[in-house]
Amino acid sequence: MREMAGLDEGTPLFAQVAERLAAEIADGGLAEGERVPSTNELAAFYRINPATAAKGINVLADEGLLDKRRGIGMFVAAGSRATLLARRRAGFTERYVEPLLTEATRLGIGSEELIALIKECSDERRGVAV
Amino acid sequence: MTPAVSVTGLTRRYPDHVALDDVHLTIGTETITGLLGRNGAGKTTLLRILAGQEFPSSGSVHVLGSPPAENENVLRRLVLVREDQEYPDYQGYPDFKVSHALRAASFCYQNWDAGLASSLLEDFGLRANKAVKSLSRGQRSALGITIGLAARAEVTLFDEPYAGLDAVARQVFYDRLLAEYADFPRTVVLSTHLIDEAAALFENVVVIDRGRVVLDAAADGLRGMVTAVSGPVLAVDSFTQGRPVWERRGLGSQASVVMVGQLSGEDRERARSLGLDLAPLSLQQLVARAPGWAVGAGSLTERTSV
Amino acid sequence: MIRVARYQLTRPVLFVALPLATLACVFAVDVGRGGDTFRGGLAVVLLMFFVTGLQRTGRWLPFGLALGATRRSFYAGTALLGVSMSLLYGLVIAGLQAIERATDGWGLSVTCFRSPHLLNGPWYATWLTSFVGLSALFLYGMWFGIVNRRWGMLGLIAFIALQVLVGLAVMFAYPNVGGHLDSLDGLDLTGVTAALAVVFLAGGHATVRRVTV
Repeated sequence: MREMAGLDEGTPLFAQVAERLAAEIADGGLAEGERVPSTNELAAFYRINPATAAKGINVLADEGLLDKRRGIGMFVAAGSRATLLARRRAGFTERYVEPLLTEATRLGIGSEELIALIKECSDERRGVAV
Repeated sequence: MTPAVSVTGLTRRYPDHVALDDVHLTIGTETITGLLGRNGAGKTTLLRILAGQEFPSSGSVHVLGSPPAENENVLRRLVLVREDQEYPDYQGYPDFKVSHALRAASFCYQNWDAGLASSLLEDFGLRANKAVKSLSRGQRSALGITIGLAARAEVTLFDEPYAGLDAVARQVFYDRLLAEYADFPRTVVLSTHLIDEAAALFENVVVIDRGRVVLDAAADGLRGMVTAVSGPVLAVDSFTQGRPVWERRGLGSQASVVMVGQLSGEDRERARSLGLDLAPLSLQQLVARAPGWAVGAGSLTERTSV
Repeated sequence: MIRVARYQLTRPVLFVALPLATLACVFAVDVGRGGDTFRGGLAVVLLMFFVTGLQRTGRWLPFGLALGATRRSFYAGTALLGVSMSLLYGLVIAGLQAIERATDGWGLSVTCFRSPHLLNGPWYATWLTSFVGLSALFLYGMWFGIVNRRWGMLGLIAFIALQVLVGLAVMFAYPNVGGHLDSLDGLDLTGVTAALAVVFLAGGHATVRRVTV
């Protein structure tokens, strides 16, 4: 199977394109007011059909995260970074905490032990970073 | 807007078998459609009929609004790239060369781009002064692809055009196709059995099995539609309850089932908590099972607007 | 239709130069041999036109259709080209005949371009006869090429067999046909050939309508 800059089999490509753009905006890779790659550029990069790329962009545009400027292209809307980070925060519990608890339960790790593990890991990181 | 291709009740009978059986199909303008199916399913026959090279036994076929057979107006806006294309050949005389083939094509297609043709020859490493009859299979395919792309025809049909091309050359084809499609949008139909390579290029896919259309859907929507669920038997059964299931295999306390239906985040979470393994089926795997589709195929069908 | 003619002419060399070269060779051979070899040489050219007609449909049809020509326009374009070539070559033959007459057989009493029945008259008659003859053969060859395409080797054999049968039937109905034809002079024979050419034209056209490649 041909590798496509990391796109996977399991979910519609347009959603993955939208997700990646959103991640880029949230991480600051794409600044507010900056031009977003065009449909054709995305299609060429990911090696996907332009209509699929367009759909991905439209998802973000429909959510107000991108502004369309006729004749020029799509630009990151003001406030979109904040919106996306807030969204990610809201999803944090569902995406990370729940699975963590599920796995911990499976392995018989109780909440107190879990909290201790988290602290330990956190300290380690700080130690390395500093 | 008139669809680029509109086929109703198309049947093609041969003395010993039926190649196409009551085919109904619509292909929108400026789209890339994958025509998929096993060898002998009828893809080639369909494409040849669309190109006016074969005649239907019954039914109606419209390309760019009118029947293509013997229709100058349609045929000059259409190109079909076949893997078994015959080129003029003399025996003993000076040979028919690649450059001649391109020249002939340039007479016939008003949008012909000679620069693109040369650039494609270069990409494929094909020399213009080589005799066509001395080309390897891969080189013949490269020539066909070059003609197909440089013609910039409104309707561009490819019938498994990559015979003899290695993976690198095929990638060149896909990339060039995409680039050309972006610059000069056209209606493209690509028939292939190397499905996963090209899957991301398609906007729509049509699957043909034994002469009948068994699936006609948006390509992207099929991703994640069919999943292989495996794990402890009871968990599997519980998870798949109420959902269309295609296959079931079991070994001891483990079972593996192919299930139809998009999975939500909750579904995935539930599967994880049940200790189940989820593996989405690729388009290729999906199509390989086409003859066995019984249940749930209807739910696969959705269409992007034409 | 014009596009088809252009397509066929992608290698103009072969269409124009080769027959010319053949003619030259034939002539050289005739001169070499000397004497009364009137029919031999030209027959080769006639054969050439037949073969060219055959090849131009047999071998050029698939790619022509692939490039978007309709069968009818392919047929018409190719026929047009063949007929034009016949016109041209007819003129060349007439011209060479005139020179031959003037030089009394190229100084060697060769009668390459003259023959008692067919090429005995004024230059325009020669032109007409050659033109019709070459055209007929080209169209005949075209028809063979198409039959082969449509029905393969078996079809070709059947086609030939059918013609033999027709020929036998004609001879049976008109026992004098052989002698009759022989006694026809140039212009009448040309008429018969022209009629045949029309038959070939119609036949080839009818056969090409449903050919697939």
